[in-house]
Amino acid sequence: MSEPLLEIKDLFARVGDKEIIKGLNLKINRGEIHAIMGPNGAGKSSLSYILSGKDNYEVTSGKVLFKGKNLLSLSTEERAHAGLFLSMQSPIEIPGVAVSNFLKQAVNSVRKANNEPELDMLSFMKLLKTEAQKLQISPEMLKRFVNVGFSGGEKKRFETLQMALLKPDFCILDEIDSGVDIDALKTISEGINTLKNENNAFLIITHHEQLLQQIVPDYVHIFADGQIIKTGDKTLAHEVEESGYGKFPSKE
Amino acid sequence: MDSPLIKNVNLFLDDKPSVFALRNKARIALDSIGFPTLKTEAWKYTDIKELINKDFNINTEENTCSHECCHHHNEDTSFIEIRFCNGKLHVEEYNMPEGITLTPLPLALFDDDYKKYFFNAFNLEKHPFAALNGLYLEQGICIHIEKNTSLNKPILIKYNQKDCDNLQLSIHNLIILEKGAKLELIEDFTSASENTYFTNTVNEVYLKTESELTHYKIQKENSKSYHIALNAIKQQEKSSYKQYYLSDGAKLSRQETLVNLDQQNANAEIYSAYKAKKNCTTDITTNINHLVENTNSNQYAKGVLEEDSTAVFQGKIHIAPNAVKTSGHQLHKALYLSDSAKLNCKPELEIYADDVKCSHGASCGELDKEQLFYLLSRGIEKHTAIKLLTDAHLEELLSLIPNPKIKELFFGFE
Ligand SMILES: Nc1ncnc2c1ncn2[C@@H]1O[C@H](COP(=O)(O)OP(=O)(O)O)[C@@H](O)[C@H]1O
Ligand SMILES: [Mg+2]
Repeated sequence: MSEPLLEIKDLFARVGDKEIIKGLNLKINRGEIHAIMGPNGAGKSSLSYILSGKDNYEVTSGKVLFKGKNLLSLSTEERAHAGLFLSMQSPIEIPGVAVSNFLKQAVNSVRKANNEPELDMLSFMKLLKTEAQKLQISPEMLKRFVNVGFSGGEKKRFETLQMALLKPDFCILDEIDSGVDIDALKTISEGINTLKNENNAFLIITHHEQLLQQIVPDYVHIFADGQIIKTGDKTLAHEVEESGYGKFPSKE
Repeated sequence: MDSPLIKNVNLFLDDKPSVFALRNKARIALDSIGFPTLKTEAWKYTDIKELINKDFNINTEENTCSHECCHHHNEDTSFIEIRFCNGKLHVEEYNMPEGITLTPLPLALFDDDYKKYFFNAFNLEKHPFAALNGLYLEQGICIHIEKNTSLNKPILIKYNQKDCDNLQLSIHNLIILEKGAKLELIEDFTSASENTYFTNTVNEVYLKTESELTHYKIQKENSKSYHIALNAIKQQEKSSYKQYYLSDGAKLSRQETLVNLDQQNANAEIYSAYKAKKNCTTDITTNINHLVENTNSNQYAKGVLEEDSTAVFQGKIHIAPNAVKTSGHQLHKALYLSDSAKLNCKPELEIYADDVKCSHGASCGELDKEQLFYLLSRGIEKHTAIKLLTDAHLEELLSLIPNPKIKELFFGFE
């Protein structure tokens, strides 16, 4: 069997002085979609930040292998170059940084790091136009500053656009369905389903079964108390939707 | 005063008594006040010891630029272009529209019409570097706009410092707008060399009733050079002065702006953006004198401080005893990229009148960590991400530039 795309082994981590991940194990192969569900404040977003290498999130023990290599020794930008992408729960507004400039910098940084030729302005704009259209992102939106004045749905469509442009191998979608109306959710899910192939993988963090009906996971994990307490298939998501997390006792 | 900046050299036109008298007036003023030290109130944050001990030469040889290169420059037809090469005016036939006259300084110095404009917008005894500039009064341009004339194109003055090793470049311009005249003026300082030199410029600006000047300046001298500049503006009734300044170069730079709102309903707006670079000092000093009632001013500065840089922002609003119903506002926002950067911010309100609206505010902060993380997580290299965010900080101020063609000149920082 080929090596997993991502392998988390006995991970312990903290933010500030708060212990937040307590012995997490997870293996994700190429071509798989995993979902993580768990109560608010359980540490799901924290896990996504730890995987992206955000400051203040400190791994105290355990290992994370990405494509067989130690992910934790890489800087945030190097993780992106290696093919990791985090769609954030609340995408950050950056006044003064134009969307198109931001996207071009990102695309070319990733290409450069992977020894691919950088795109010139013209080919980049062409690519951007095509991908934006698929996600129903208006040309007007591309003229704004990054996430500034975007509605909830626009923010998440913009995250999806970045995935389409950067073509990462592994995407963490942190509540990509929150703050999004039904129509936008449909556009986003369709976008993600077209991005999916046998080479990449997705980790979907959500509270809602609805998203998982549109992007169907191979595995569903229940996350509580800093670890995965139960793993199943998509029917587990339905159980959670019906009766909450209460019936899944923590391992501790 | 024994600074090697002060030299006894024979200059062009020294034999003309009226010209000699002006230079001598400046010499006497400088002799009496001397160069400032850190004990001089207006200079307490900007250390010029190194500069005044530099033995810069004065180029007395030719009084105009005769460089081959200048004859073939790519002129952008959006602007009326005037060039200085290494401190020397490049004289050419200007195809000027009606109502505007460009006069090289040596000619203006003889012209009785211009006599009253020299050393009149500022006091030589309060501005030692302007006095030093006056000592070498010879290079410069006089721009005169007739009554009710407005140009359809901005004037762009390019100061190209490419072959000026160890030189002291003194440039003195007069800008005179008659009643109702309008002008957009851009000054662009660039250096395509690694030379060490000292640029010392003075602009005396006279805005008659209802005239409007929008004055842009881009300072991108090289990181070994020194740049000291005074813009002195005298404003009559209902005149408007707007200044947009970008400081993005020089080892040490000081942009001083002195505005005298001499008559009612005169309005001045000073916008300054600066990048204080590693080991460099950037000084922005503004003095606005509200001398009569119903005058308005606004100052807004935004800066970025790199490691081991020094930035100085001094903004003084003076409101004379009878200057009621005036308004003077000032705001300064700085972004620190390093703990080793030093910011000296000195707002001063001198209010001697009642019924005035004045305010000042200052804030400083670090890069937003969430924004930086967002950019990095998309694979953008750290130095590029920092540049995007610092440019964004300045963008907010530079986006106030009304003319999009001119705004383009301001972007593309180092
Ligand atoms: N920077 C931080 N410093 C301290 N505590 C934090 C920080 N970020 C998150 N937390 C805490 O960590 C816990 C997990 O948060 P989070 O990962 O956002 O949970 P989830 O995404 O599962 O809702 C919460 O109790 C939250 O208050
Ligand atoms: Mg969360």
